Formats: sequence, C-alpha cells, structure tokens
Amino acid sequence: MQTVDPAQFQKRIDRITRMFEKMIEHADEQSLVRCPYKNRFDQCTAQFGCRYRRPANQAGALPICTSDDKLDYRPAWEMDGATPVQVQKP
Amino acid sequence: MADINDIANESIRKEIEEFVERPEEKGEMIAVMARARPSMQDIGAAIIQGHHETVDKLTEAALAEGIDALEIMDDGLINGMGIVGIKFRDNFIFVPEVLACARAMKAGMKHIEPILSASGIEPVGRVIMGTVKGDLHDIGKNLCIMMLRGAGFEVFDLGVDTSADKFIDAVEEHGANVIGMSALLTTTMPNMGRTIEAFIDADLRDDVQFMVGGAPVTPEFADDMGADAYGETAVECVEVAKRLSVKK
Repeated sequence: MQTVDPAQFQKRIDRITRMFEKMIEHADEQSLVRCPYKNRFDQCTAQFGCRYRRPANQAGALPICTSDDKLDYRPAWEMDGATPVQVQKP
Repeated sequence: MADINDIANESIRKEIEEFVERPEEKGEMIAVMARARPSMQDIGAAIIQGHHETVDKLTEAALAEGIDALEIMDDGLINGMGIVGIKFRDNFIFVPEVLACARAMKAGMKHIEPILSASGIEPVGRVIMGTVKGDLHDIGKNLCIMMLRGAGFEVFDLGVDTSADKFIDAVEEHGANVIGMSALLTTTMPNMGRTIEAFIDADLRDDVQFMVGGAPVTPEFADDMGADAYGETAVECVEVAKRLSVKK
C-alpha cells in the first residue's frame, strides 16, 4: 500500500478547511434570506413539515417550496412532532 | 497558457464555461483542470454533480491503478470542490447541493483513509453527531459534519431525532469521546440535558465530552445543562471539537 507524507496531507486538510469555512460563511449569510433546505430547483429537502411545502407534480420527486424568500421562512416550519417526512437525498 | 479545450472532461468544460464567471478564476480553473489527468477530471466532475457513488468507484479505481492519494485529493476531490465553492458563492447552487457534494467527497476520502492509517496519520478526533430526540432539523448539524470531516475528524452521523440510547450505543460502538448535539427548537433543547443525564446514569459521563449548538442554544444554557462546550457556528465547531478531543 502507498503512503503519504503527513505534512503534505496536512496542507490539503488546511486547504479544504479554508474552502469549507468560506462556504459556511456564505451559508450563514444566505440563510437570512433563503431557507437552507430549499435546493436549486426550489424543492424542499427538509424532513419536517413546512407550510410552504407543496406536493411535487411528479411521483417520487421532492416536494416544491412555494416560499418567495421575501418573508422569514422559519415560522412556516412545523415545530411539533418528530415523524420524519420522507424525502430523497438531493 | 491552458485553453478550455485542453480539459478532456466535457462536463467540467461546461461547468467552467457556464458557472465560473470571474476571469481570473476561470483562467485558474482551466489551468488546474487541464493539468489534471482525465480520470481525475472525472472525479472532479462527479464531485460537482454530487454523485457520491461515482466518486466512490472512480477513487477506488484510481488508487488501484496506482495513482497517488495526494494527486487524487488535489486534482480530483479538491479541484471539484473548488468549482462547487464558486457555484455556491455565486448562488448557482444552494446548501442541499453543497451537502451532496460534500457527501461525494467523503465517498472518495473513504478510500484514502486506509492509506492515511498506513502512513501513521490518525483522525484529529472521533466525533458522534446527532440532532436530539424530537427534532428533525439537520442542516446545522450537517454543515458541522462537513467542516469536521474536512478538518480531518472521523464523524459518526446519527441523523435526526436521536435518542439518548442511540448516543450511548454509538459511543460504545465507535469509541468516540466527543459528542455533538444539535437542536433547533426550544421544545427539544432540554433533550440535550436529558441525554447528558442518561450518560451519567449509564456511568459513561466521564468517558465523553459534550459539545452543543443550534439556533436557540446559548452558552449559558449549555453550561446549565452540563455540556462541556458550546459552538455558535459550524466553523467554531471544529475548534471546539479539537479542544475536547485533546481533553480525553
């Protein structure tokens, strides 16, 4: 089996960490205006219910998010119960 | 100077042309991708698409071919995530897609881990993560996991609605000494304290360190419930986990 130089590996870890830190910062900023569970197709990936969620037009597809992102999305989230809604991984 | 047509993978060419808008970034991306061998470009393309099964197979095949693990990291996994980062920053993709890409990256790293072990490189720490019982909100936890894995931690994700028993079982199974609990709801937040109490009852409290976080959680609440540390953001979570890992 091949081996890797620990110092060289650490450089990659540092690079990945810097890259991910920027993504987290952006995710934090974005979460102020857009629900983080909403994907690029405006589908909902949450496992909990939300008032903005509508059934998908196609069987097996993710539900649709109808939020326009102009209002705070968080009050729409259903906060009771712990029965997961079945969603597919994006 | 490299040209976009020097990149063998069509999907990568399209990604750069369509989504990398800043000229200096486009030039840099073309240069690094064109330098990468085609099989590494394929890994990068699968990362960008969030296709974890493809990354899994391609990484395994690349290692079997004798390609250096660091080359796979640089030219496949990291290059791919580089484009993911640009697409996310410029709002072409969002958190769910980023998490799918991170999952794909993990699928590749899984094959590199045995090489790290053979090289004497151990994980920075072992962390068990879960959203507490009654709570189904997992984005914050998942972003923490992405950061932790990126920083070299081995993370065991228990998902959402995690009971105290599941946390206890996971500690016994994986031997991790740091537990990260997240909650988004004020109604489920007390389950963090209940989980800690369950560890006391099971006589396991001294074996683990608890870090907690989530929108309604405060340092004071964390302290009151007996947690060892509080992290406000996913970035902070890494430093907290490092500190706690050293403690045991």
